[in-house]
Amino acid sequence: MKQGLTSFIIFVLGLPIFHNFIFPMFQTSSGLNPARYVGFILFVLTFIIIHLILRLKPPMAMKALFVWGFGFYFYDYVLIPHIPWTLFITYMMLWSIGTFLYISQDAATFKEFRRPIVKTIVGEYKLARIVVFIFLPVFVGFTTYKSLLPKFEEPVELRTVHPAPPATTRVHGKTCALEKTRNPFRIQEQDDYQTAFPFLDVNKDFGKGGTGAQYMKNVTEGGTIFFQNCHYCHGDQLNGLGMFSHVFNPTPANFIDPGTIAMLRESFLFWRVSKGGPGLPNESTPWSSAMPPWEEHLKTEQIWKVILFEYWYTGWHPRTFDTEPAYIGAPVPPGGIGSDPETCM
Amino acid sequence: MLGKKASLSRTLPLLAVMFFAFSLFVPNFVNDSFAKEAFAERAFAEEAFAKEVLAEEEAAEGAAGEECEISQDVFYKDWEGNPLKGCVSGHPAPDLGETDYNTYSFAPSRMILWISNQQHLYFGSFVLAVPIFCMVIEFIGIRTRKEDPVMAKKYDKLAHDLMKISLTAYSWTAILGGILLFTFITLFPGFFKYMATIFRPVMHVYALMFLAESGVLYVYYYGWDKMSADPFLKWVHVSLAALLNLIGTVLMYLANSWATFMQAPGGIDEQGRFLGNIWHVIHSTLWNPVGVHRILGNIVFGGGIVGAYAAYHYLNARNEEEKAHYDWVCYVAMFIAIFGLIPLPFAGYWLMKEVYAFRQQMGITLMGGIMAWLFIIQAVMIGLLFFGANSYLHNGMSRVKGSERYMKYCKYMVLVLILMFTMWMTPHTIVMTPAELKVMGGAQHPIVGHFGVMSAKNTAVNIMITTTVLCFLLYQRSNKRITVPWATVGNCWIAAIFVGAVVNIAFLGYYGYFLPANQRVGLSVPQVTSTLTTLFAGTAINISMFKDSESFGDIEWGTQSKVGTYAIFMLAIAFTWLMGLMGYIRSAVRLFWHVTEVVRDNSVDAYTLTIGEAGKMLTFNTLFVWVQIVIVFWVGSLTGKKAAVEKAPEGVPVPAQQQQ
Repeated sequence: MKQGLTSFIIFVLGLPIFHNFIFPMFQTSSGLNPARYVGFILFVLTFIIIHLILRLKPPMAMKALFVWGFGFYFYDYVLIPHIPWTLFITYMMLWSIGTFLYISQDAATFKEFRRPIVKTIVGEYKLARIVVFIFLPVFVGFTTYKSLLPKFEEPVELRTVHPAPPATTRVHGKTCALEKTRNPFRIQEQDDYQTAFPFLDVNKDFGKGGTGAQYMKNVTEGGTIFFQNCHYCHGDQLNGLGMFSHVFNPTPANFIDPGTIAMLRESFLFWRVSKGGPGLPNESTPWSSAMPPWEEHLKTEQIWKVILFEYWYTGWHPRTFDTEPAYIGAPVPPGGIGSDPETCM
Repeated sequence: MLGKKASLSRTLPLLAVMFFAFSLFVPNFVNDSFAKEAFAERAFAEEAFAKEVLAEEEAAEGAAGEECEISQDVFYKDWEGNPLKGCVSGHPAPDLGETDYNTYSFAPSRMILWISNQQHLYFGSFVLAVPIFCMVIEFIGIRTRKEDPVMAKKYDKLAHDLMKISLTAYSWTAILGGILLFTFITLFPGFFKYMATIFRPVMHVYALMFLAESGVLYVYYYGWDKMSADPFLKWVHVSLAALLNLIGTVLMYLANSWATFMQAPGGIDEQGRFLGNIWHVIHSTLWNPVGVHRILGNIVFGGGIVGAYAAYHYLNARNEEEKAHYDWVCYVAMFIAIFGLIPLPFAGYWLMKEVYAFRQQMGITLMGGIMAWLFIIQAVMIGLLFFGANSYLHNGMSRVKGSERYMKYCKYMVLVLILMFTMWMTPHTIVMTPAELKVMGGAQHPIVGHFGVMSAKNTAVNIMITTTVLCFLLYQRSNKRITVPWATVGNCWIAAIFVGAVVNIAFLGYYGYFLPANQRVGLSVPQVTSTLTTLFAGTAINISMFKDSESFGDIEWGTQSKVGTYAIFMLAIAFTWLMGLMGYIRSAVRLFWHVTEVVRDNSVDAYTLTIGEAGKMLTFNTLFVWVQIVIVFWVGSLTGKKAAVEKAPEGVPVPAQQQQ
């Protein structure tokens, strides 16, 4: 009991001291800076070492409280920027399950964990029972009050960010099957970003019928169109943080993120760019997307060039499947690109 | 076994037959192994040449006046990548109208069909899984007969008891199958007519296979006692179990072909006309992954049901002997369930890969589209399964003498599991308010936002499985003191395998962020290989080290903690719900098609349910099947309760017919 109290005092005093006086030394403005996480780990290690030096063996219920408390502190204060409430709840639910697995790993530890709870309920710990039985209804009442209090925030909604594209789409009077549609300006399937990024060798021959110079010309044209039309929302670094981005909900797509264009086919992008927000299916709440249907403002050829630029700039490669027909490296069709049915042009 | 002279005369012909079969098989096998690559090209060329010749002949025959309309297959391609052509030998798919659907007033047809289908599938899974257990358990019983006759008898009795339950469940499955069939015929006659036309020959084979399954099942069950006395007959008996499983697997694959055809059809043209090759219809692109996934799923589901049954009896046991018995049954059932659970995610991954390859649109609908939130729920359920399995192993290990050496590692394994599961659970698209979005500075969190893609998910799930394998290995050796001279080397090897696997998995997960998507998908193969290496190589080395080991004491059966026992219930219920969920997702991804892109669903039920509605249906199906399972087990237990033989009081004369 005495050991438990000592341990509890160390925890209760240690955490505010760390939070107010030590942790600010590790404060960083960026979540990617590891200093704050190192600081937190040092704090936890210090807590353990103090227990080892003083040979403290707190009871299981208290250990569970410490473990749970450290998890809460990490997700609520250490991890920045603060994660959304739904994710916080998810993480804490998982951490709570983990804490439970820890205390219930065998019958002895679980019994040890239950002992103070049982003693509190049956009245052996009278003070604890009074505190718990007063605190619990107050806590439930307060939580109920908080949850019922009217809020003026926009409600959250489940939105499908990457809906399934239709089998076919009609752009500028031409119907194209998205399963087969390809970018007519892509010369090499994967491009050689690794060795040439950020500047591709214009003299390099990328395959049959195409040269680096031609490829870069198309990329540049795509970039020009992007900066004339798209960067206001998608940002000049293509990270979704354009000058207008903050007024939109949801925010414009971040192409740097590995979960956007990196895992989509070019045909998917072609459909999304052409049809914009209004072309989305209901599950994607088309009323929530501010992107215009670019087919009304750009030519098909320009849309393909913008897509080419987006992949080139971010360094991602369009999604492909092994079983796809080998169209890569195929020469531009005679008579110009307009005669190829697989490009929707 | 073959030592007795009496059995020698029967054994010799058997050996001769086996030798003959072996001599036929081995050269083929060897040839296949070594010459496969060498002759593949030649075989391919020959096939191509044969097809060309056939095509020419067919063309010539057609020219000669024989009527045969040639059409293109919707899925199969020829050796040049062009759609395969075939002779049309069926009617086009119907354009279903209002008169092709019937309804009842009390519930939508789709819901009735869903319930009948799901209930049949649940019971089908159970009755297909139990013979697999029985075969393995009976085999173990035979193998341990000499070393430990008591245990051998226990194994044999367990297999027999399970089969008894399965027999009742078998009839139940057949009844549910009949209900399903009538539901199709009465409520969806137009659609069923088309399916029956396409699968006409297979449906008869299915019925005949059912007959064979019943026959073998009855001989297997009712011949149990009679075939147990003689060692040779016992081997014949366990061979019957193998035959039973073989027939059961064929049955399941045949039934699967109907579902996989509906999702990813093949062997028909764009109008839905049969092109004359039933194998193409059956062997559509999802047939194999769905089959493998279902076999593993059945094993886990069956293990869960048997485990829950034993756990219930364990908690209600009246004496120590009963407690010890049901504790042991829980262990066997959980062993089987976890054995199936470990490779199950890989089979699921293969299935999803094939779905993506079939139609990108379908894959996106599943993983990123309208079904994506259901996949988040699936991730939660899978996590619960792993937590339940590990909790059982930790608690099970704690009652083994000598386990205190390893129990201290449990908390670290829990930590790894939780961290990996946190990664696994993090969605790519986070539900948040606009204020939270502004705080984050964009739709993706700079740190946890990286966990929302497949590279992170694959890494997380592989490490979770590896941790579970490690826990299992520690469980195996918890009451053993290793005495082999190479113990240190063996331990080093095990440590190296696990550390190597985790480093490899983590590195490939990290590397995947820098690769194109099609190459990234390929990284899952070495990741999975690393995980499976820990399972197979780790277990093999671990077991090899048990030779001449000293025991700290027997496992104290009957002392399992209540938490560990409740974990079994959680596993069983979670798996039932999960099975329903994934079945719904796989089926609902067809959206408004009965047969993808061929037969459109024009009924009033052709809509996608909201997540809440789907959840209610899944919960109802789970509760409903468990009520039935309880009834089936109760019915099964009736035969076990032997009526006490009333003894005639002293001095009362016994009739002559009753005198022995």
